[in-house]
Amino acid sequence: MDSLDAVEHTPGAALRRPARRWRLPGSEALWLGAALVVLPFASNDFFAYQIALFLIYGIATQGVALCWGRLGFLPLGHALFFGLGAYLAGGTLKAAQQQPLWYLALPLALLLPAVVAYVTARLVFARSHRSGPFFSLITLAMTMLGFLAAQQWSAVTGGFNGMADIPELPGTERYSSFYWVVAACAVGSTALLGLVLRRPLGMLWSAVAQNEDRLQLFGYATDRIKAFAFGFSALLAAAAGALFALHQGIVTPLTMGFVLSTEFVIWAAVGGKASPLGALLGAVFIGYASSELRDHFAYWEVAVGAIFIVVVRFLPEGLAGLGRPLWRRGPAAAPGVPATDAPARHAPDARIGLAFEQVHAAQGGVRILDGLSLALDGPGLRCVIGPNGAGKTSAFNVMTGRLPLRSGRILLDGADISGATAWRVARRGVGRKLQIPSVFSELSVSQNLDVALWAGRLGPAASLARAPLGWRSPLRDELLDLFPALREQLATRAGSLSQGHRQALEFVMTVLPQPRLVLLDEPCAGLSPAETHHMIDAIKTVIDRLGAAALVIEHDISAVAAIGGDVYVLHQGRLLAQGTLAEIQGDPAVRAVYAGARK
Amino acid sequence: MDTSWLLHALNLAYELSTLALTTLGLAVVFGLLGVMNMAHGEFVMLGAYAVVTVQAWGWPIATAMPLAIVVCGLLGWVVERWLIRPLYARPFDTLLATWGLAMVLRKLVEAIYGRGYRNVESSLATPVTLAGLQYPGYRLALIAFAVLLMLGLAFWYRRSVMGLRVRAMTGNPMLAQALGIDTRRLASQTFVIGVVLAGAAGVLLAPLVRIEPGIGVDYLLDAFFVLVVGGLGTLGGFAGGVGVIGGSQSLVSSIAGQTSGYAVVLILSILFLWLKPNGLLGRR
Repeated sequence: MDSLDAVEHTPGAALRRPARRWRLPGSEALWLGAALVVLPFASNDFFAYQIALFLIYGIATQGVALCWGRLGFLPLGHALFFGLGAYLAGGTLKAAQQQPLWYLALPLALLLPAVVAYVTARLVFARSHRSGPFFSLITLAMTMLGFLAAQQWSAVTGGFNGMADIPELPGTERYSSFYWVVAACAVGSTALLGLVLRRPLGMLWSAVAQNEDRLQLFGYATDRIKAFAFGFSALLAAAAGALFALHQGIVTPLTMGFVLSTEFVIWAAVGGKASPLGALLGAVFIGYASSELRDHFAYWEVAVGAIFIVVVRFLPEGLAGLGRPLWRRGPAAAPGVPATDAPARHAPDARIGLAFEQVHAAQGGVRILDGLSLALDGPGLRCVIGPNGAGKTSAFNVMTGRLPLRSGRILLDGADISGATAWRVARRGVGRKLQIPSVFSELSVSQNLDVALWAGRLGPAASLARAPLGWRSPLRDELLDLFPALREQLATRAGSLSQGHRQALEFVMTVLPQPRLVLLDEPCAGLSPAETHHMIDAIKTVIDRLGAAALVIEHDISAVAAIGGDVYVLHQGRLLAQGTLAEIQGDPAVRAVYAGARK
Repeated sequence: MDTSWLLHALNLAYELSTLALTTLGLAVVFGLLGVMNMAHGEFVMLGAYAVVTVQAWGWPIATAMPLAIVVCGLLGWVVERWLIRPLYARPFDTLLATWGLAMVLRKLVEAIYGRGYRNVESSLATPVTLAGLQYPGYRLALIAFAVLLMLGLAFWYRRSVMGLRVRAMTGNPMLAQALGIDTRRLASQTFVIGVVLAGAAGVLLAPLVRIEPGIGVDYLLDAFFVLVVGGLGTLGGFAGGVGVIGGSQSLVSSIAGQTSGYAVVLILSILFLWLKPNGLLGRR
């Protein structure tokens, strides 16, 4: 339950409005490219050769920073993919000396580690979206295993002494011209990451870190999004590993070891885990400094560890966070994207039907739902009422995969959805608004709307295109007409909206994907009487416009009367009564519960 | 008389006992407080280095235990107070902060004692004859101690006032606070108990293992596997996790080598996270 309470406690959040400040022109990648071109001329070939090593590490660090700074899960064993890439590329290049056809297998050296990463992440993230720490430790264990295997499987890897005599890249010179290959790759990865972060996929990545629950309720398979990002970051690490093999000419088990994994994390943290350039520079500066100072000061690495703790505790965005005003950061609004019509959603025309059949659910030894049966057929608004602890929110939770079902069935349009994950239920046309308004607090209002509008419409190709950033739908315009306050605050950070506006935003987001069944959990909580009135009107208008069915949990009987439609009364995890408000009010059993005559 | 079955049984019991000893501290800290203490293995390492230290100073070996308890206890108290308490609301950051702590401890020990392996000399390896089988007496004592410690802890958790308070705190911290339980202090005490258990395990294992600054990670990961498979916060789950992980690791390792044993345990843990995310007997 805890992670559903996405309440923001950021004092001063309203102060951090996106102010227009002086910024360096051009993108980060351009500046990096310019600096890397100057470097060999300003120093010498040997220095450039040394720096190239840390640029290579920096590319892998960018992968760690992507997972950690953008998506919010930390891979502690990224050297595994670095090392895998290095061994596979090294082995392939050695084989290619005898048989040039082997060059064709070189892409596999990058793809194989990415596939391993994707599959692992899918398995670990599939069942529990709160498996963050577990994921970190699993990746750590994987790198330990990789290290052991590389040491023991000496027939292939050369054991502890490593795989030596890896040839140079044809057409390059290891100690001079290879620098340019590395520099081009570093600029390329920085530019690529910068580009993806500005595309819809980048915005979804940020949304995963901010509010994964909300994304799942829109129908996004967040475990796949995370697994894809992890696979991509492993691809970066493997590419860096391949460069490493070419750069060093030897690959030892240490390249997939625990120590290097740890260093990736430190570099990402200190350089700035949210910024691709910050992560790269973190690796170059800290990495180079460590290599120079490690042998002179016994306590240098202790100091680095201490710096890491200080960064985690006080400077979550690393040094890049200090330089933040210089560059546009994060999924910034893309101003030049032309507005286009979003593709239409093809919803099934069948009459909506929902049925709970003898549903039991329990948590921590407490029976929450105790044989709940209720049925709903066809469009229109209904209310769900009941005293505290009656199981109203739990009925929604058990339906959207938030509460495990002990026994019984839940049918949606006749299909069994018992135990389905939140995103599968959402893809069947169920929209849910949570009791405590849940939005993506670091995104702007208009970006929040984008994420909702994309639900069910954004394919894999479109998630990398620019056009979806300008998608509009007629419903979006109508909803903004209903809530003009939101239209005025489109550029505002959602986290700094007032409670009432946040309720409105979440409601608008819930209905934007055009669900056929809308679950609204106390949509008027915390609203003034005037706002409540307005909200109820809006709900009635929108549900009617969508031709959807809606279940509204409500405590306020006057609001229930204003909403109209049938009322379900829940008590102690069961359906106590069902009927029009007048019938309910006349029911002696309901009166007894509310008057407290008997339990 | 064929005593090989007894030897196998004793070896298995010994491996399970050491695994239980080194896991117990993390089971307390992660299972009860929900703090993923990434420095858990480093506290075990500190315990082992306490033995190295008293030997270097020429003190009797028995003084290693109180030294480890004092050092780990003080360090644990400081860490809980200044590093973890401000971050209870950000569980992911406690992982990072303790990860940083692990790094600092590792590098500090490395800077003081050097990178190389240490061995502890001890006269504890005297074999004892048991049903016609020669077996190191220290290992037998360790098995007995592990069993007693588990029973004692179970009794403490179920019967003592503090155990009751801890159960109340993990069940519902707000309500526990409302009932007058000082959950802040209790959390601090629980954390200290957890890291002292880790340090004590390090002292007990010191004569049996190779000691170097980097050994902590292995203890952390083994303990983590046990908790993933067994589930958090129940003694039954803990015992089950120790059985499954320790049993399969020692079985596969003896047949196909250490790397395979490790791979099997890792795959088991991934499968558990996938198919049974709450473990065998998880609280949640």
